Amino acid sequence: MAPARTIAEQLASKQREISVAEFFERNRQILGFDNPQRALLTTVKEAVDNSLDAAEEAGVLPELMVEIAKEADSPDRLRVAVTDNGPGILRREVPNVFARLLYGSRFHSNRQARGQQGIGISAAVLYAALTTARPARITTKVEEEDAAHVLELLIDTQKNAPRVIREDVQIWDRPHGTRIELALKAKYIRGRQSPLEYLRGTAIVNPHARIVLVEPDGTRVTFERAASEMPRIPKETPPHPYGLELGELGYFLKASKRPTVLELLTRDFEGVSPRAAKDVLARAGLSPGATPGSIQGPTQEALLEALHSVPLVAPSSECLSPIGPMLIKRGLRNVLGDVRPEFFAPPVSRPPKVRGGFPFLVEVGLVYGGGLPADQPMQLLRFANRVPLLFQQGACAITAAASNLDWRRYGLEQKGGNGLPVGPVLVLVHVASTKIPFTSEAKEALAEDPDLDKELTLAFQAAARHLKVHISRRSRRSFAQEKFEIIQKILPRLAEKTSHLVDQPIPDLTPVITRIMDVVSLELQLTNEEGPRRAVLEVTNYTSRPRVLEIFLEAPTEILGASAFAPVPEGTDVGMGRAWWTLPKLGPNERAQIVLTFSKGTDVEASDLDWYVAGVDEAHLLGADPLPGDWDVRLPRALIEAAETAAPTDPDSAEGEVDYDAAESEAHVGDDDG
Amino acid sequence: MPRKAKRTSATTTDEPKIRADALRPTLDLARQIYGQLSLGEIPRMRLPLRTKQNIAFQMREGVWRLGKTMGTRSARKLDGALMLLRTFYLVDFINEMARDNKTSTLRELYYISEGWQEGKFHSEDESNLLVEDLEVLCERLREDFRLHPEENGASVIGDLTIRERNRKGLVKKINCRDDVGDGGYALPSNVEKEKIEFVSSGAKFIVAIECGGMVDRLAENGFDERHRALLIHLKGQPARSTRRFLKRLNEELHLPVVVFTDGDPWSFRIFASVAYGAIKTAHISQYLATPSAEFLGVTASDIENYELPSDRLTDQDVRALQAELTDPRFSTADWRSEIDLMLKNGKKAEQQSLAKYGLNYVTDHYLPEKLTEMGVL
Ligand SMILES: Nc1ncnc2c1ncn2[C@@H]1O[C@H](COP(=O)(O)OP(=O)(O)OP(=O)(O)O)[C@@H](O)[C@H]1O
Ligand SMILES: [Mg+2]
Repeated sequence: MAPARTIAEQLASKQREISVAEFFERNRQILGFDNPQRALLTTVKEAVDNSLDAAEEAGVLPELMVEIAKEADSPDRLRVAVTDNGPGILRREVPNVFARLLYGSRFHSNRQARGQQGIGISAAVLYAALTTARPARITTKVEEEDAAHVLELLIDTQKNAPRVIREDVQIWDRPHGTRIELALKAKYIRGRQSPLEYLRGTAIVNPHARIVLVEPDGTRVTFERAASEMPRIPKETPPHPYGLELGELGYFLKASKRPTVLELLTRDFEGVSPRAAKDVLARAGLSPGATPGSIQGPTQEALLEALHSVPLVAPSSECLSPIGPMLIKRGLRNVLGDVRPEFFAPPVSRPPKVRGGFPFLVEVGLVYGGGLPADQPMQLLRFANRVPLLFQQGACAITAAASNLDWRRYGLEQKGGNGLPVGPVLVLVHVASTKIPFTSEAKEALAEDPDLDKELTLAFQAAARHLKVHISRRSRRSFAQEKFEIIQKILPRLAEKTSHLVDQPIPDLTPVITRIMDVVSLELQLTNEEGPRRAVLEVTNYTSRPRVLEIFLEAPTEILGASAFAPVPEGTDVGMGRAWWTLPKLGPNERAQIVLTFSKGTDVEASDLDWYVAGVDEAHLLGADPLPGDWDVRLPRALIEAAETAAPTDPDSAEGEVDYDAAESEAHVGDDDG
Repeated sequence: MPRKAKRTSATTTDEPKIRADALRPTLDLARQIYGQLSLGEIPRMRLPLRTKQNIAFQMREGVWRLGKTMGTRSARKLDGALMLLRTFYLVDFINEMARDNKTSTLRELYYISEGWQEGKFHSEDESNLLVEDLEVLCERLREDFRLHPEENGASVIGDLTIRERNRKGLVKKINCRDDVGDGGYALPSNVEKEKIEFVSSGAKFIVAIECGGMVDRLAENGFDERHRALLIHLKGQPARSTRRFLKRLNEELHLPVVVFTDGDPWSFRIFASVAYGAIKTAHISQYLATPSAEFLGVTASDIENYELPSDRLTDQDVRALQAELTDPRFSTADWRSEIDLMLKNGKKAEQQSLAKYGLNYVTDHYLPEKLTEMGVL
């Protein structure tokens, strides 16, 4: 029997550092390279995310080209090239950026970015080298230099260090940018979890980017830019004490060069005002003048506890870059154009909250109807820091929050009130944070967390409330369509037929029409023929009494600013996005028009124009809402009138009578042949 | 000359005597709707509901009748408006037919509606239902509207002489035994007085028979002549015209009616619709039902007593029998014990199973025995 010491020594001799690169070589799936389809998507994704991050940081509107091509003699290989118009990378940084794992500019930065680990692109380079033994080829040019550097790189997996295989300088016909080319074992697919789907999602939440994809068969797909404003560049902000942990606090205290703890708290943390700092210190039993280095052990704990119990200013959203309601809508519309959804709910952008010291916020966009499949579960488009999440939907906190909401209350079908609801609905969810709580390094799903869940739920509810209103309006509209059919098609014929049978002149149908309809109806038509784009609003008084109606329009400022009106509005407030008219008195069955003519290039949809009416109560109004109370417009006449007319009762109401044609007839039950 | 001789047997008369006021109620309806339109009221009409809840078995009269619950057909709703419009396309159409002295089958009516724009029917069921609605509203029969189903040729064999006015307006006198072939006299779809008049009959009673094979057997064996019976082929569930014809014979010539069918739950229903009417035609039961009709067989007890070859009841048969136990038409003690017996034995049998004892057995033994038992012979 060998002495114990020898065994320990034997073991010790086997101990050695495991290179990170080596580790990942053996655990590809963690990074999303487990099969050839997946590897292709991950490669595209890592390169595209980096390009978007880089362009945004440099303040340029991203312009991306993703080319995927077959490799001539090896059918299971593809060449991927991603070219951007970002700032380029300094020559000396290139080897480490692309061929050294855990090297990046974002890990320590406290602001929102797509990349956060410093692994992404190097992992792709590593995978490519492992499967094809071919180096990555990088072309990059910064504005200050005249030529581009071209480098071919491999990773030394033992040392986790770059190896430059070849190097060159080359003229490149662009001011700045980066191109990465890789040959890898990969398989191109379309449909779910494909590069195309990934880029489509990317285009939705990055409407400021223009992205071109060239598929292996030569097909070119272009996602045009839908917005020319750059997203706000998130500011680096100091950490917020909410969610700070003891170790981190200790690190701050030890490293701080501030003379006093008071100064440290107010300058190096976010949200701590001088007064709050004093409260915190008093509660922790510390003197404001204490030096940070002197605070140790139990006092550190007391300080942390005080920081978590004194109310502080909420974290600012400056380190976050939300997409914003307007661009969410535009991005969805741009990419879902062929689906022609009938309803875009006003997108929800929640205020920022903190989770574990890191600010985050939730945004939700909801689209309903049109070409979306009505018999399928809700489509959930998940995004984290503007990056589409295509995998692990079932394991994601976003899915969990959507499944736990009772969508039945908002007009959708949902078995048992949980799980994803069924219906023609698509929901976009964007979580922005300086640190996204992913479940794994592959960045596929968000980890569940009570604070995140709460925000997601609130955002879903806000969007779903709009959906509910839409669904109920829609059923009202189809009810109205029936009535239009009655008065426009059937009633005139019925009058004609009966008049003919009794040999009498056709009577005036106005009173019957107004009785059947009993609404003031607003119908909007957007014309798109050549010439300027116009919106024509037709207002018809299908009620039995004359009415003076006031019509109010609310629309985005840029649309109102670009419109000419006929007739001239009684008043406008372009700043508030409002215009209003008093129509001439409309007798029963009489109508009037308001015409908006937009100057060239104005982007208008019917859903941009919100119409409100005063002079008739809600029950008798179709195609618009009653004027909400928060409009500070004087309306003496109209409002008085509306009050008077509330709920006129129809003497001929069918209430309490059995509808013969709705009653279940025994026609088919009978036991004779007729 | 045979040609001439034939001529003399038919007499030409004036225009057919359709009831003079037959179409007046249809124009009254138009007047009613026109009046509402002129007054600015939403057009509507009231009709008795034809739902199961509103159809009741009238114990006293022994027939199905519509109850008193009314429904409204109003132009306030799309369906109602559409039915109103169709009603007047239909009214216009039948008034036009009257002017042109035409008739139309229900199927033709369905196709005619192709030209009615919004009013076009989507199925023949829809057009049939509207015709029934008009019957209810106007208290008329569809024959009054010159509408009829396709001929279904239910036939009559026996000593009955009728006068039929054919489509050319010629009136022919026909004896249903001597002037017809083996197929008997084929009933037209309209059997109302203006079409068929009864002249005379040597028959003492009527046997209404489910299957054609049994009608032929009785005729071949001379049963009609020997027992002075009038044989009427029901052809399964009897058509309205067949039931109406039975009803007229029963009422006008005072002939008792016995119904001879297979011994199974579906045949019981054939009997019930002859005797008490059917749900679908509850609004005109007074014209169609013959409450004094009696069921001759094959009964459940016959299957036992005559030891007839039988089949087992299927699940469907059992369900049908159970439904019959809750059907007021079968609420008499006799019927209940028959149904219970059939359920208990689990057996059904066809009329023609009587052939087990030879071709003459049904006419020489079974029918005479049963008819004697019933007091008809
Ligand atoms: N196209 C590019 N243009 C400019 N800089 C780039 C580009 N690609 C990468 N970089 C720089 O290289 C760094 C490393 O990129 P890498 O993808 O490995 O990590 P990351 O994006 O920081 O984090 P993650 O692992 O989450 O992707 C980035 O942080 C960025 O500074
Ligand atoms: Mg990256």
